Amino acid sequence: MVRVIVPSVLAVQAEGRQHFEVEADTVGEALRALPVADLLFNERGEWSRHLNVFVDGTDAREQGGPACPLAGAREILVVAMLSGG
Amino acid sequence: MAIGVLALVGTRKGLFRLRGDDDRRGWQVDGPLLDGWGVYHATVDSRDGTVYAAANHVVYGPTVQRSADGGKTWQRSKKISLPAWSDLTVNAAWHIEPGLPQEPGTLYLGADPGVLFRSDDAGATWEPNLGILEHPTRDRWFPGAGGLCCDSIQLDPRDPQRMYVCIASAGTLRTGDGGKTWLPVNKNVAADYLPSPYGEIGQCVHKLLLHPARPDRLWQQNHCGVYRSDDCGDSWQRLDGNGLPSGFGFPIMIDPNDPDTAFVIPERGHEYHYSPDAQFAVYRTRDGGQTWEEMSDGLPKPAWAAVLREASASDADSVYFGTQSGSFFALAGGTWVEAARHLPPILSVEVTQWSV
Repeated sequence: MVRVIVPSVLAVQAEGRQHFEVEADTVGEALRALPVADLLFNERGEWSRHLNVFVDGTDAREQGGPACPLAGAREILVVAMLSGG
Repeated sequence: MAIGVLALVGTRKGLFRLRGDDDRRGWQVDGPLLDGWGVYHATVDSRDGTVYAAANHVVYGPTVQRSADGGKTWQRSKKISLPAWSDLTVNAAWHIEPGLPQEPGTLYLGADPGVLFRSDDAGATWEPNLGILEHPTRDRWFPGAGGLCCDSIQLDPRDPQRMYVCIASAGTLRTGDGGKTWLPVNKNVAADYLPSPYGEIGQCVHKLLLHPARPDRLWQQNHCGVYRSDDCGDSWQRLDGNGLPSGFGFPIMIDPNDPDTAFVIPERGHEYHYSPDAQFAVYRTRDGGQTWEEMSDGLPKPAWAAVLREASASDADSVYFGTQSGSFFALAGGTWVEAARHLPPILSVEVTQWSV
């Protein structure tokens, strides 16, 4: 079981829930289990390029992106990329 | 019970509701709803009162959101998608047009990249229109600064088979068979940025409106002038050589009771996009575009205003618009009332009635 934490704009789209506990083998599986999965992936199944995902503090993009194995991970943190203006 | 006006004002950071008195002088502001989303367009479906919003987010992408309780709670449509074989993905949701009264549950959605969707389940799901997606001229369409946006969808109230869509920059397309096939209708409409400026396709329509009382009449604010058609788009007459300081602008407004009346907000063209010589004004014609009169009483001067293509609306009593600097104006007795200021940049405006 891994805990997924999403930002506030996404939480509003999930009836106010900011934390989820899901069973998954990869980051992609975990995010697809969320009620906001449609907002995290485009119609080709790719992550938004403005989305950062950290698994126990490590950038999941460096570990294969959606294929990043969870293998005992405790927390997935979804972060909307910071932008100025 | 007094009847006032409810303006749905979409901004870069959410949707605001502005309630105006029946004289359009006193206003109350609340919002933002859909906090943090860029609301390119929001509208009330007069058939059942549902509010629909084309809401886009730089990280989370394009969505259609709908509310059956006036904006208290929202439901997201199933993901708007294009088929894999098209090699296209949806970049932004632009405009939502409820269907005719005789087709309850049907709505249309215009989106970037130059695509039209239809819903027959009150916005729960959306299917792409293949006649637009596979249009034989698509390889000659190209995006403007706002993307390849489909921002105008107009339905002929006499004939459910006939409708118009506009895509920048493809031009106006008309169907007479319910959306199976689409005919470009851009005769005499300039595309000054092309080597052949009067071609079949490639025009940059900023906003097109069909007049509900005379449905053969269309008004168009284009990148290259203001136009009127009296024959369902078969031919167009250019109208901006007779009093307008510029033919360039984005929105156009009409008087639903008078097919000869229209309003435009000229801007210095092409690369500039602000009021010509800082003279911020709306121009009105009451003779079908033969002459134009300035209406600037109540507007700030000097001002370098910019009003986007979806950021205006009209009803039987007034006209309304919002600026990129976050001011919302309504016309009250010949004078513009600044109903709100310091909103986020305004992307869209629609109005409906409400009861006090």
